[in-house]
Amino acid sequence: MSAVGAMLYREGKIRATNVTFIVWDLLHPLANLVFFGAGMDLLVGKPTAISGASYPAFFLPGVLGMACMVIASNTAYGFFMDRDNGIFYEQLTYPLGRGEFLIGKMMFNVMVVLAESLVTIAAGALLFGLRVPVAAWAPLLAGIVVSTAGWFFFFATLALRIRRNDAFNAVSSTSFMLLPMSSLFYPTAPMPGWLRHAAMANPITWSIDFLRACTLGTGFDATLATEAVAFLVFSGAMFLLATRSLRTQ
Amino acid sequence: MNDFALDVQDLVKIYPGRGGRTIRAVDGMSFKVRRGSIFGLLGPNGAGKTTLLKTLTTLLEPTSGTARIEGFDVVRHPLEVRRRIALVLQETAVELFLSVRDNLLTYARFRGLRGTRASQRVDELLGRFHLESDAGRKAQDLSGGTRRRVQVAKVFLADTPVVFLDEFSTGMDPHLKRAVMEALAAEAAGGRTIVLTTQVLGEAEELCDDILIMNRGREAARGDLHTLKLLSAGLYEIAVTFDRLPATIEEDIARLSPLRARMNQNTVELAVKAEEAQVLEIVTALAKRGRALHVEVSGASLEDVFVQLTGEPGAASGEEER
Repeated sequence: MSAVGAMLYREGKIRATNVTFIVWDLLHPLANLVFFGAGMDLLVGKPTAISGASYPAFFLPGVLGMACMVIASNTAYGFFMDRDNGIFYEQLTYPLGRGEFLIGKMMFNVMVVLAESLVTIAAGALLFGLRVPVAAWAPLLAGIVVSTAGWFFFFATLALRIRRNDAFNAVSSTSFMLLPMSSLFYPTAPMPGWLRHAAMANPITWSIDFLRACTLGTGFDATLATEAVAFLVFSGAMFLLATRSLRTQ
Repeated sequence: MNDFALDVQDLVKIYPGRGGRTIRAVDGMSFKVRRGSIFGLLGPNGAGKTTLLKTLTTLLEPTSGTARIEGFDVVRHPLEVRRRIALVLQETAVELFLSVRDNLLTYARFRGLRGTRASQRVDELLGRFHLESDAGRKAQDLSGGTRRRVQVAKVFLADTPVVFLDEFSTGMDPHLKRAVMEALAAEAAGGRTIVLTTQVLGEAEELCDDILIMNRGREAARGDLHTLKLLSAGLYEIAVTFDRLPATIEEDIARLSPLRARMNQNTVELAVKAEEAQVLEIVTALAKRGRALHVEVSGASLEDVFVQLTGEPGAASGEEER
């Protein structure tokens, strides 16, 4: 555990001593909610046909899900910077296992996303009157942790396998294009058949649907349980792949 | 536990190459390194030194063979190995976004040092490496030489029994290099095992009490400095200083077919393989070409041994096989 703690300390030091990182980390999800959420709210009108909720209420879990993905992608990009600095290879000779190396980074991401989520949910309550049911806090927390972990291991695998930052940028940008092919911005039900099938096979949909069920308090059904299990399997597989990739650097 | 910090047996590392060809970067290396010694791994570019070092430090897995550090196998117990090693890479490795102090504190944390103990050790090293005035500056704002100083300081922060240094003097000014060499000698005297790769033969000659010369992934020679020099029995270095260089000196030297020849201002330096009597004849012949002010004859240097064993420095590369 001390090895994971050391990685947390390292990531924390880097973030805490750089104002740009702090501002970006804490405020970008809020900016997404305010600018995109408010704009779409005006566009689609109130109340919307979206789960009987206002657009900001519908969009809030999408913002949280994007926060999980953005920090994961940025941290994975950090592998390239660390490789250029030489520190990446030195760190691989420190007394920590490859799994601990990744878990330390993932845990720091989780802490940042939780802080972002608190800021975003609090601001959403103030600006849009959004309320997350108290009973949903625990599953929401679990959902955020698993989403952050899953996406970090996914992007880490890409970064460690691709090894070239220009190619990584191209591939990670492509994966962000999967956002509109999910339930992040709009519900899947009214989608054309081909898009709905693609969205249902998209891990972004799996994680957002779970977070949305928490924030809107709509309860869990069999579909949601299947999606949750699928995302857990996806996260586990990505962890194994990322660890394996780290062993062959 | 035996007396050896490193125990390498039949180690092979093969990289996949283009078109189905493979590169045998390390080709059946076997050696042991005694605890508390300074072990020099020498070889020309592409000899396989860095690949061997990466394998010993758990960065690469060998294709076959075994390597044990302090009794722990690098493949089966990599974590135990990492607990016992510290590494200075050839490339400068620092945390660019952290200050010098935070670089050292972060490294200390990975090594299990924290709190007051870590701060004290860091303060001590900041002083020892003349980094106090830069302690609060971020590494990205430092010169390359200062970054290198931060990197090297880290291995003195950890009490690992084995230290690996890959071309450690790259980018170092002579003062720092001298200080680090003295510090390494002191660490070895205290029981730490130092493993260094270098192409600066003077460093190895001064520092190492055990030297292995690699070429094309294999051992070319092994022993202490005196043993290696015996491999070049009959090798002599001749230096003659004239009041001014004789006009025909280049042709005269060419006729002697020396292993190595260098002209520096009015001094001619040659390395020749010859009988003792022949050496006297060569010196006499050279001295007759002009007004000789100073004549010096000595035995072979490590460089002579190195050149004789490995061919032209930089010419060798990993052996390829289909």
